[in-house]
Amino acid sequence: MASTAQRPTQTVTAASNDPEPKGWLGLAFMAPSLVFILGLFVVPLVMALWMSLHNWPLLGRRKFIGLGNYAELLADMQLWHSLGFTLLYTVLVTAAIMAVALPLALLVDRPLRLAGFFRTVYFMPVVIGFGAASTLWMWLLNPDNGVFAHLLRGLGLVDSAPRPLESFWPALGVIILMVVWKTAGFTMVILLTGLQAIPADVTEAAKIDGAGVFSRFRRITLPLMRNSLLLALVLNVTSSMLAFDQFFIITQGGPSNSTISAVFSIYLASFSSYRLGYGSAMSFVLLVVLVAISSIQLAFLRQRPEES
Amino acid sequence: MLKIKLALAALSLLASTTLANATDVTLWVRTSSGAVLQGLADHYNASHSDKIIVTQITAEQMVPKLGAAIAGGAAPDGAVLDLIYLPTFAAADGLEDISEFVKSRPYASAMSPSHIRLATYEDKIYGVPALPDASIIAYNTDLFEKAGLDPNKAPASLEEIAADAKKIAALGNETYGFYFVANSGSWLIYDFLPHLWAAGADILSEDGRTATVDTPALRETIAAYRDMWKAGAIHPTSRSGNGNNAVEAFASGKVGVLMTGSYIVNLLTSKYPDVKFAVAPIPGPKGGASSFAGGDTLAVMKGIDAEKKKVLLDFVDFYMTPEQQVYITKESGMPSRTDLAGDAYASFDKRNLVSYEILSKARTPYTFSSDELFVSRTGPFVNLIQGAIFGEDVDGSIKTAQDAFTKVLERTNP
Repeated sequence: MASTAQRPTQTVTAASNDPEPKGWLGLAFMAPSLVFILGLFVVPLVMALWMSLHNWPLLGRRKFIGLGNYAELLADMQLWHSLGFTLLYTVLVTAAIMAVALPLALLVDRPLRLAGFFRTVYFMPVVIGFGAASTLWMWLLNPDNGVFAHLLRGLGLVDSAPRPLESFWPALGVIILMVVWKTAGFTMVILLTGLQAIPADVTEAAKIDGAGVFSRFRRITLPLMRNSLLLALVLNVTSSMLAFDQFFIITQGGPSNSTISAVFSIYLASFSSYRLGYGSAMSFVLLVVLVAISSIQLAFLRQRPEES
Repeated sequence: MLKIKLALAALSLLASTTLANATDVTLWVRTSSGAVLQGLADHYNASHSDKIIVTQITAEQMVPKLGAAIAGGAAPDGAVLDLIYLPTFAAADGLEDISEFVKSRPYASAMSPSHIRLATYEDKIYGVPALPDASIIAYNTDLFEKAGLDPNKAPASLEEIAADAKKIAALGNETYGFYFVANSGSWLIYDFLPHLWAAGADILSEDGRTATVDTPALRETIAAYRDMWKAGAIHPTSRSGNGNNAVEAFASGKVGVLMTGSYIVNLLTSKYPDVKFAVAPIPGPKGGASSFAGGDTLAVMKGIDAEKKKVLLDFVDFYMTPEQQVYITKESGMPSRTDLAGDAYASFDKRNLVSYEILSKARTPYTFSSDELFVSRTGPFVNLIQGAIFGEDVDGSIKTAQDAFTKVLERTNP
């Protein structure tokens, strides 16, 4: 009650001292980030759009070809295949991350002294760069002198070193394993903030009403952490759609070009075929796909359960 | 007052002339050759007022970086490039014609023919050999003996290698007959294409504009590899290996024949002195011998000013002197000149001479799209080898490769 009583007086004093909010002050505060957005996002975006309308080789003369690159994209099986593969990867890896991060978050949410230690342990791989983590796993997976092969053989689980990168599903499997190891800690932290925002009295009330552990989780915890779940989902989907390092470094697109992600195919067009214009056109198509996926997710995020 | 002014003027004139006399020339070098080129530049700079400034560039980034620098008007004065990229840069009008210089050198006839061929575009020469190397096979003479083979006689054909490899693999105890690096385009062109050349075939036409993938030599070569793979004679890491473990695998004494390059002799003798081995040129499926002429070529960038060009070419003359050639041989295993075996190898392992002698017969694919066709891990050449040797559909893999090669060539031919 006290807080609601204070609020109107505050507004009144603010309004009487400063009837009109100063527009230029707001602009001044925004200016630094506007400069960054303009210089590092809008300008490159327009330049990329301009490049995508050209036949733009790394060496030699560029030529304006209008929508030629986009017309070629439509028939480019490699690109559509890589988009399909990226979607498959996104669905699998997001599900795997969620399946690992949610139990982790529930575990480290306890008021135990060791919880802080485990939170740190689970979060640690997050601070490694993706490139470094991929290189590390490349070495771990090495069949001749890698740690995994050594362990598995030492334990007598396998006779000869496993070579997961030689076929599609095992290759995708180890990539997902590596990404879960690398990023589940981050998702865990997001989910943890959602968990900790749930007021204890609600849970207590449910307990008094006789709700069991499972129904408390389903009817109280899950609905109340809905927003952090959705946020984790949006972030995971977006970063998975942009996956590159792990495929570039660990599978290198193989076996038989089956693990080329969308960004990888942009890289190949731009820096293996040296077709910068075509690469820009591909980037634009990916941008449109990503914006579409993100806006669907954000629409969900905006819909508050309390309102509906 | 006037005196002071005059003195100042004289002083500044002096300063500007000394500055003009000492020219700084920038040279981009790929990392793997960085140490040797830096050493040569240090030797040169110590005895000259002009300076060669070496900048190291990661090998995979050389083409995009140099291309971007040329496009942005910020190119270095010269570059020491993987010779395979010479046609690309020459055709894109990025290099300076140095035909006169090359032809008038007293050592003109002692330059690796393949390096000169790759540096030639429309009858003009755009580069000189810097650090050549050549692909060869190395074989473990101990294992040859154990398997009842003659360690003093190198296998004369790929089919003979296949038969030997199977005998060596039969020794058991995780011993393999053969190791090649199948998951890296640059390794495959280095070690696989010579089989075709030894049989008089090639994967591209002489001018690099047409694909000639499907040849009897290719089919025979693939058949021999498949034969070894099916028999379990090829080291299992060959398939997915990128080359990092190849030398260790051979040095561990568990591999009979290793597809490798000229540097192997000095590497093994210095790091693994216990390994008993011999080297030989790469044979064709039924006989013959060839090699991939690899390594670096020095090129002068287009539009360089006359003074800098003079210094850069003077640097070429400098590193071509017998004294510096001995240094190059010591550091990278092979001299740039093919007429200095006596000097260059006087104090080195004589097995080095095998690659030295094959260099004059070695070849390199003349192509305008090396990265896209050959080097790229997702390119048609790597997929051809992976599909045809380890896969089930040989005909399909060859056809796919021929189509993919043709598609790329149609788009990239200048």
